[in-house]
Amino acid sequence: MKYLLQFERSLEPLYKELEERKKEEKPTIYTEKKIQQELQKIYSNLTPYQVSQIARHPDRPHTTDYINALFTDFLELHGDRKFGDDPAIIAGIGNLRDITITVIGSRRGYTLKDMLSCHYGMIQPEGFRKMARIINLASHTFKSPIVTFIDTPGALVSTNAERKGQIEAISEPILALFKAEVPVIAVVIGEGIGLGALSMSIANKILMLKYSFFSVISAEGGASILYNDKRKSEELSSNLKFTAENLLNNGIIDRVIDEPIGGAQRNRETVIKATGDAIYSELEMLLKENGNKLKENRIERYRKIGIYAD
Amino acid sequence: MNIFKRKKKIIKVPIVTEEERAKPVRCKSCGRLISYAELKKNLKVCPYCGYHFRMTAGERINLIADEDTFSEIDTEVKAVDMLNFKDVVTYKNRIKQAKERTGLDSAAVTGKAKIGGFDAAIGTFAFEFIGGSLGSATGEKITRLIEYAKKRELPLVIVFSSGGERIQEGIYSLMQVAKIIYAIDSFKESGGLFISILTNPTYCGTATIAMAGNVVIAEKGASISISGPRLAKQVAKKNILPKLEQAESLIENGLLDIVVDRHLLKSTIVRLLKYYNRRRI
Repeated sequence: MKYLLQFERSLEPLYKELEERKKEEKPTIYTEKKIQQELQKIYSNLTPYQVSQIARHPDRPHTTDYINALFTDFLELHGDRKFGDDPAIIAGIGNLRDITITVIGSRRGYTLKDMLSCHYGMIQPEGFRKMARIINLASHTFKSPIVTFIDTPGALVSTNAERKGQIEAISEPILALFKAEVPVIAVVIGEGIGLGALSMSIANKILMLKYSFFSVISAEGGASILYNDKRKSEELSSNLKFTAENLLNNGIIDRVIDEPIGGAQRNRETVIKATGDAIYSELEMLLKENGNKLKENRIERYRKIGIYAD
Repeated sequence: MNIFKRKKKIIKVPIVTEEERAKPVRCKSCGRLISYAELKKNLKVCPYCGYHFRMTAGERINLIADEDTFSEIDTEVKAVDMLNFKDVVTYKNRIKQAKERTGLDSAAVTGKAKIGGFDAAIGTFAFEFIGGSLGSATGEKITRLIEYAKKRELPLVIVFSSGGERIQEGIYSLMQVAKIIYAIDSFKESGGLFISILTNPTYCGTATIAMAGNVVIAEKGASISISGPRLAKQVAKKNILPKLEQAESLIENGLLDIVVDRHLLKSTIVRLLKYYNRRRI
């Protein structure tokens, strides 16, 4: 275990013990059991803020891991044909078992160099335009279903992005996804924040991992706006109702993919496989419907969202 | 859906109290003192340096629409607290306070009016109502206005003045952006003219919506950005050059059609409407 979150600190001595026992080649079953029990205790009682911390855990599988594990013959496509290529967006075509799928996802990078070039997953204008291009390619040319993997802290805020038309670029993938006459599935695998996440989430079915979140703003950003104090983010996160469970109850998303105790960072293969199964089963249902109908369903679904007194 | 039951309603603008009216206002840009009456006469533009003060929704409608032609629609749509949200004060109280202060039920005023003699659907964000932020009720009103304009084949004018999505409504407010963007696109595809007017400030989701206009007009000195200053400071760990997000620099980057002084705003809209009405069908 490389990295422990703040509320998992009670596991530290146990992991140390496990390592020592492994070194001395003593049986480790008892220690492993103790770790499992401690994890059970921590994970059965998580606050929304802790869920948001798990969602950002550095060991959680990234979009690239899902693509490598689930899709065969994946062919990556680059560029927005206007200005450049945003490494924070990975797009391409591959096979999920017997279905050919266009995949779009956000990339965060593993090494520091990658992280910096991807801006930690924040999307630049060329990323949004690239998404729109690939979505249209899937809808008009390849007629393949679209699956998006969402794991982004939002649209990039910088002078350069502003200059290249960030505010205008965001609407392009949103419109392209609305108009695509193919099934669209969005999967939130980590954090989904703000307009960046919204631009990838216009879908017929939205799935979310159990310890992921989808919010209008990060708890830290919201606290700096509402309280002018970043330390209030814990308080704010329980108000925002952004966990998968909350959103399922509110009817914003359609399905929660279960994660075992300890989260996806400790059970990478299991979670990736469960995600693949969930996508496949949803696609099988959606592929029975006609493309135009799917488009209309999507439009109707978003037209209805909103609670107000009438 | 009582969209078509229009009620004539005069918008109250009780935001400036009588005491404040007597006091002179200090210009935020040049620091000079201006009497409120003088400022009001000059369309809330500083007579010395040309700084554009914020206008309320009522003043905005009075500025753009011809006298006594505005009739409001969808007045029954009201903001509610669905998440039991609480920050410094509860969201319920925030709505109540905003309502008492402004007499509005949501951060949008929409309706039908004549502009320079031409019929048009007109909507405006009210910055005085919780920062003009885009909540469910606001999003619904704007969407209904767009659908109203599409159905009646009216040109559409929306004035933006908003801090972005309403955090107090969580994910619902984010989804309003998608809802409105699609509504605008289907309106534009049916051949409609959407004039969007960006005023100080237009941030986040509302800026994205505003950029969907057929013609995008910004007022002088309007601050337009993907994020508000506080968030930019928090995310980018530095202040984004305040000059860069101003309308004058955005037009250089090719994002706007026209940057206009407030005194010329109405005549610019009327000219566009005139050209639109002369289109060959």
